[in-house]
Amino acid sequence: MMDGAWIWLAFALVSLATHGPRGSFIVLGHRARLPEALREALRYAPAAALAAIVMPNVLVSGGAVSPFNPKVAAAVVVVGVALRSKNPWLPFLLGMGVLLLLRKGLGL
Amino acid sequence: MNPRFRDGAKAGFAAFLPLSVGLVPWALVTGVALRSAGLSMLEAMGMNVIVFAGVAQIGTLPLIVSGAPLWLIGLTALALNLRFVIFSAAIARGFEDMPLRRRLLAGYLLIDGVFAVCTDRMLREPDRHFRFGYYIAPAAWGWVLWQGFVFLGVVGADVLPRDWSLEFMATIALMVILVSLVRQRPMLVAALVGGLASVGLRDMPLQLGVIVAIVLGIGAGFVAHHRFGGSGETD
Repeated sequence: MMDGAWIWLAFALVSLATHGPRGSFIVLGHRARLPEALREALRYAPAAALAAIVMPNVLVSGGAVSPFNPKVAAAVVVVGVALRSKNPWLPFLLGMGVLLLLRKGLGL
Repeated sequence: MNPRFRDGAKAGFAAFLPLSVGLVPWALVTGVALRSAGLSMLEAMGMNVIVFAGVAQIGTLPLIVSGAPLWLIGLTALALNLRFVIFSAAIARGFEDMPLRRRLLAGYLLIDGVFAVCTDRMLREPDRHFRFGYYIAPAAWGWVLWQGFVFLGVVGADVLPRDWSLEFMATIALMVILVSLVRQRPMLVAALVGGLASVGLRDMPLQLGVIVAIVLGIGAGFVAHHRFGGSGETD
């Protein structure tokens, strides 16, 4: 996996990539506005990045795309619950419930 | 203590308190995810203090654990955090007359919930002591709550059985945020293109596929916006 110094370097980098954007305008005290096209593009970055991380985690099993693995069923439940309920615990409870039921209960 | 600061602190704290409860499951899940991914307790809490951003932490975790190159980890974190540039730009005027020390602290503590609660009043309130109190009290409360419950998650993960697929809780956490983001059609397009491209490109060397997928997703969202307009609701 990783050794000690490398992992702290990775944390430092993630920290820079977090506190740079957070502090940017507050610390510089800019009144300057970002160009309209850039502002618009920035709005799509988090959704694109989250999906790029999540989808392979759900859809890929053992290196191959498998649309019928237990994680997909759990993901469908999570998305359904998140769309319908404001309860912050439910997606975790039901999503993990479905995953564990299929994996441990049915041995999938 | 300046009485205007105290009034501001009280008002800000009261406004954020109900919303702050939402941080609790996130923080617990983040703690469990950091530990389940194989970080030591010191590494997990160290990352939590220096990064202090659930999405960026959980989002980069798989890359960090698999030993991905540093530039990829940095770029991914940046993509996940670009929304903060917009938040920062939106609230910056509220801090203009404050010393650098306070502005640095304010930047470090800027999280989604505090931004949502504080921005409006920050820009309307003329008294800078009130403004600072109104921001810093809920921001500090958010920090304490986050650190405390991540710590509970980190400790709890050691007690929980190893074979419960707990690492999937991180994926659930990211999916919940994603659902809240994609209620507009161009956002949904950006997410679908980014996600599917990432699946399709997963065998690219150096995990370059993730970055290419993010760029494709951003481009698709941009194009969709100009096709459908920005307000096309998906539901």
